[in-house]
Amino acid sequence: MNTLLRPLLSILFAALVVLAAAPPDAHAQKRIGVILTGDIPYYGAMHERFIAELGRRTAGGEKIEIILQRPFPNAISWSNAARKLIAFDVDLIVTYGAPAAQAVIHEKSRIPLVYAGLYEPDQAAVAGKNVTGCGFKVPLSSIIRYFKGFKAVNTLGIVFSSVEEDSVRQYETMKELAAQQGIKAEEIDIRSRVDLDKLKTKNWDAVFITGSSLVHLLLEDIMEILRKEKIPTADIFPDFSEAGVVMTLFQPAHLQGETAAEMATQILLGEKPGNIASHTFRDTELVFNLVAAKHLGITFPINLLIEATEVIK
Amino acid sequence: MRRWPLSAHGVTRWLIAWGLMCLTALAALPVSAAGQTEELLIGIEPEHNIFKQMERYRALAGYLSGQLGVKVNLTIMSRYGEVIKRFKSLNLDGAFLTSYTATMGIRELDLQPVANPVNRNGESTAQGYIFVRKDSGIRDVKDMEGKSIVFVDPATMEGYLFPLAYLRQRGITDPEKYFNRFIYSGSHASTIFAVLDGRADIGAAKNTVFDKLVDNDPSIAQELSIIARSPKVPEITLCIKNEIAGDLRARLSEVLLRMDKTPQGQNVLNQFEALRFIESSKADFATVEAMALEALPGTAEHGKE
Repeated sequence: MNTLLRPLLSILFAALVVLAAAPPDAHAQKRIGVILTGDIPYYGAMHERFIAELGRRTAGGEKIEIILQRPFPNAISWSNAARKLIAFDVDLIVTYGAPAAQAVIHEKSRIPLVYAGLYEPDQAAVAGKNVTGCGFKVPLSSIIRYFKGFKAVNTLGIVFSSVEEDSVRQYETMKELAAQQGIKAEEIDIRSRVDLDKLKTKNWDAVFITGSSLVHLLLEDIMEILRKEKIPTADIFPDFSEAGVVMTLFQPAHLQGETAAEMATQILLGEKPGNIASHTFRDTELVFNLVAAKHLGITFPINLLIEATEVIK
Repeated sequence: MRRWPLSAHGVTRWLIAWGLMCLTALAALPVSAAGQTEELLIGIEPEHNIFKQMERYRALAGYLSGQLGVKVNLTIMSRYGEVIKRFKSLNLDGAFLTSYTATMGIRELDLQPVANPVNRNGESTAQGYIFVRKDSGIRDVKDMEGKSIVFVDPATMEGYLFPLAYLRQRGITDPEKYFNRFIYSGSHASTIFAVLDGRADIGAAKNTVFDKLVDNDPSIAQELSIIARSPKVPEITLCIKNEIAGDLRARLSEVLLRMDKTPQGQNVLNQFEALRFIESSKADFATVEAMALEALPGTAEHGKE
């Protein structure tokens, strides 16, 4: 028995020594769960840059599997998406937009979270030791200033969604800014497609579209109605789908995607999210759509066009 | 649909080219002193709205022509500082110059300062402001590292020379390395809008433009924070070349300085958006000269990119 056991034990011991000395598997897989609400081109652009930057940063290292969730913009869908990713036991969750981040935080998971595409992250309820990320802020007063540059504005419609906290904050800020300028602001709360009828009831001088996922999912329908009413619009998301928004003042998506990838990489390498400072991007681009303006009979003064970083014609 | 990237300089150039064509056409039209043999060609540096600027100066040129018995023609330049570069090639007799170009003109071309307009607020001077958005978190120079800064033009005191001197006094000798982006907007108003919109973190521009925008839209003052102010220097000065006959120079000065004493002159001043003209001298530009030496030590030709 001993003659048989001794060589076996020796082999087993040798094997253990070799295993202990071997480097960890360089190709072990990490899984990142991503919540990309609806089909919002702005978030899509952020995610595209996130993937590219993540690939660049982790090239030759661990394989990374991305599990993508595309919930419809409503509370139940966001919650379900968050729960699924938690059930998958992913190593990290990445979200775009405030509601998706808040849905993950609500689940009180220990999985680290990196958010992007949040409006004013320091004002949103997204703090936590497992949470970090980046967002943006657009000076909404500039929207009013540019509106007034090409049209007298006495009434301003504000399209927002009361189910999205950051969209509500933008509505409230814009309402306050409008009041300071003697402009009457009116809410246009979009909670479902049915609410689009609200757009047909009044004739505002201009309409501001907040950064709501639901609103942007319905953007083409919204623009069709407003176009018929000859109402100029402004948005803080870029009009990638060329729905006909007259003026957009937005933070470029690529910086947020790259920063989210940098944060994700740090976390995958063992850094605690709480040690990574969140970041708010404040740089903006201003785009005037002359084609959309022409349809509404609007001519931009040359002094206004000078300020644009891009014009569409 | 085609997307065309648009630079502020591109549009400004187009705008000014158009303006030049208009002015050329205007110059060909008879003014009140038509038929006179003597002529004066006066250059103007461009403002944000050159159409409005053209109207203001046209009224003044007409008045001067009538009073002097000399046809006064105007030509608007494509950018700040160009008046100096083209003074000889365009055969300019004089120019309305902002403080830095006037300083360069006095030194390089021996121009003679004649008079400054006093604006409706009773000011004949301007100063530079360095400003940021209040929510930017920038309070002083050390917070500016790695941020973006927007200047007006290298030939402006308020929008270039002053911020450069301010930075140098605080140990920043290479702004292109200190900031992550270093751009010129082409006008004072565009610089202010760029910072308001978040297209740049820090801006430097002229107080008179800044204050006018705030008067029209008080929310601007709530959003921007001024973190530095330059000394006050003459805002606009009519400078003429030394070769102009002494008697014509004296008459020009006399007409300008007495404009506010007659109803006709007051009417033109009103169109020009000024209360009166006051006498100017070379000593008025000593502050700018000192600032230029501090901001650009060892640079022989100031105001060039």
